Amino acid sequence: MGANIYRNKKPVFVFLIPAFLFMATFLYYPFIKNILNSFMSIKQLGSSATSFNTPWYGNYVDMIHDQNVWTSLKNTLIMMVVTLIGQVGIAIILALMVDNIGRGKQFFKTVFFFPIVISATALGLLFNLLFLYDKGMINQLLESLGKTQLTDWKAEGIALFTMMLPVMWQYVGFYFVILITGLNNISDELYEAARIDGASTWQCVRYISLPLLHNVICTCSVLAVTGALKVFDLPWTMFPKGMPLKSTFLTGTYMYYHTMETKNVDYGCALAVLIVVLGIVLSKVVNAIFREKDY
Amino acid sequence: MKKRIIAALLAGLMVVSVTACGNDNSAGSAGSEAPAQEAAPAESAGGSDSKEAPAETAQPSGPVELTVTTTFAGEDGNAQNYKNAVKAWEEQTGNTVVDTSATADETFKMRVATDFETGSEPDVLFFFNGADANSFIEAGKVLSIDEIRAEYPEYATNMNEDLIPDSLVDGKKYAIPVNGYWEAMFVNTEILEAAGVEMPGENYTMDMFKADCEKIKAAGYTPIAAALGNIPHYWWEFAIFNNQSPDTHLEIPESVEDANGQAWVSGMNDIKELYELGYFPDNTLSATDDETFAMFTDGKAAFLIDGSWKVGGIVGACQSDPEDPSTLDTDKLAKFDVTYVPGKGSRKATDLIGGLSSGYYITRKAWDDPDKRAAAVNFVEYMTSDEVVPAFAQHAASALKNAPVVDPAEFNELQLRAIEMMAGVTTLTGAVQDLFQGDCRVSTFDGMPEIVTGKVDAADAVAEGLDAYHNQ
Repeated sequence: MGANIYRNKKPVFVFLIPAFLFMATFLYYPFIKNILNSFMSIKQLGSSATSFNTPWYGNYVDMIHDQNVWTSLKNTLIMMVVTLIGQVGIAIILALMVDNIGRGKQFFKTVFFFPIVISATALGLLFNLLFLYDKGMINQLLESLGKTQLTDWKAEGIALFTMMLPVMWQYVGFYFVILITGLNNISDELYEAARIDGASTWQCVRYISLPLLHNVICTCSVLAVTGALKVFDLPWTMFPKGMPLKSTFLTGTYMYYHTMETKNVDYGCALAVLIVVLGIVLSKVVNAIFREKDY
Repeated sequence: MKKRIIAALLAGLMVVSVTACGNDNSAGSAGSEAPAQEAAPAESAGGSDSKEAPAETAQPSGPVELTVTTTFAGEDGNAQNYKNAVKAWEEQTGNTVVDTSATADETFKMRVATDFETGSEPDVLFFFNGADANSFIEAGKVLSIDEIRAEYPEYATNMNEDLIPDSLVDGKKYAIPVNGYWEAMFVNTEILEAAGVEMPGENYTMDMFKADCEKIKAAGYTPIAAALGNIPHYWWEFAIFNNQSPDTHLEIPESVEDANGQAWVSGMNDIKELYELGYFPDNTLSATDDETFAMFTDGKAAFLIDGSWKVGGIVGACQSDPEDPSTLDTDKLAKFDVTYVPGKGSRKATDLIGGLSSGYYITRKAWDDPDKRAAAVNFVEYMTSDEVVPAFAQHAASALKNAPVVDPAEFNELQLRAIEMMAGVTTLTGAVQDLFQGDCRVSTFDGMPEIVTGKVDAADAVAEGLDAYHNQ
């Protein structure tokens, strides 16, 4: 009887039920409801769906013809590339450099990780002040260096750069910490052996650190790409309504714009479905590309 | 077996603890046998003319917590007056107000609509009385003044009935107005002097305005402070008004082809012309309204079309501490003036946009709560009393029957100039955008940058908006 209690797994299911109910109520039910709502006509946020759209798939047809959807998809893909190169790439370089210094590792870990703990909205406001057209810090600096014309950092041609720079900067520290933990797990004996064989620092990095970091880099890449799909608060704080000229919309901000600003809730639901589909497809693609190796 | 029972109990406890988080009354109501007793109705509402009103009118049985949402927040000139009035009412009655006020923008309107839809509306709401209120009036979620008077006969009797706007839904009166509004053109006179431009007056025309803008631009200043990519609302309104008359301004076109529709298209094209002439800030498409307003107060832009609430914003910008009126820099404030919006065609410069567009609603949720009904009535009576309203109305109109004589000593220089300017107004017309709500605005409000840059034709944008309006 005493041993049976460990073989009987039924009590485990009892403990799983609350979490399952929570997920079903706050994730799966809204998700299914969202798919249904994307086919319905909803007058405004909070209103119940009254009838099906005519045709019922009308929102999806509209999406294909909506130039802003294509803009937001393009910007989201650019954001993914930026996060991969800008966040993971810079994090690798920083991690390798910090790993090679003798003292002050903890200091740099703290300094690089710090932006993660600041709310994205606060960072958005901070960068708004930095990039402000009149009296912004960057324009004042440029003015002091002799530039006579103010630069509109939020103008159409440059807005995407201004939006992505802080997003990139914010998460470098996150991947840096993951990567430096991965580097710490590499045995010092390997480096010592390489040094005895006459390997240079670059050769140690190229033939020991990077290959053994492969799986960690893969994990970071998957996190970065899927994370890029969810970026919302900082871009919305800095560029509400896709300003200027709706050129800075991301899929998330465009969905929010239609749901909360234009009151076109059912179209917002259809955009949410698009985001989910995009997320699933891209996760599969990224997982296939950055497949982890067994050592 | 015992362990299974304990496991089941623990799991059940977890479920209860999760669900209890979302249930306000779970503990209290579970054990109660009888529903809460109805409070005795107040004997009389009365007291419409006294700050002592709460003592003799609607009286709640004990201290009550009222949730109140208003637009008296942010840069609204009455934000501080509202705080003071609420504090005084709280001290007088012992009740408390949970203030959820916010700046009156599209997000705020959306929030209010959503609150009503989801049953989390406030007890008292100070909100617009135009099309913005249609959804919750249609749903019967607020009480008409007549309905309230059935129990509190003296409710809002200090107001001039004719000046309380009717609902667009059923023609009944729901919201008791406090202060009216006007929209006019603020001027930074320092820039005008530097550019050699005369202060605009009552015969100011669009052609004169353009000539002045050219001089201001040549002097190195930005003529117009406006963020077309963020808040094009005021220019949208007056540009359309300039192609109509006060008689036709509130008529929403049936189609883009009819006379009114063409007037709207011409209005959009007028803004486009000003943009192409370079009279708006260089970053007008990417700036926020706060940024362009700062340009105006910092002496970098000359003209600003905005509402009467902006008087408070300008005064605040002239104070070293925006919360402390005693820190007002009167010399700086003297550099600002307010005048009429340049006219065109049938619209004279002195024909302005304005009226009593907002008021206090009592929600059915508060009315049906026996503890809150009297307190909500009492609160609105206090906030709309003859003593409180003048503090809010200031240089704008009110609906009071007995409007008190204003003491000029109580006003700052800009407020006095506003009073002087308002004395010359020939007509005051409501804003057509108050009737043109929802996604029909998107093509010409959010789409203004596309219109002025020529990416979208003005006629197409207007047609798209009108289609959305007529399909609502």
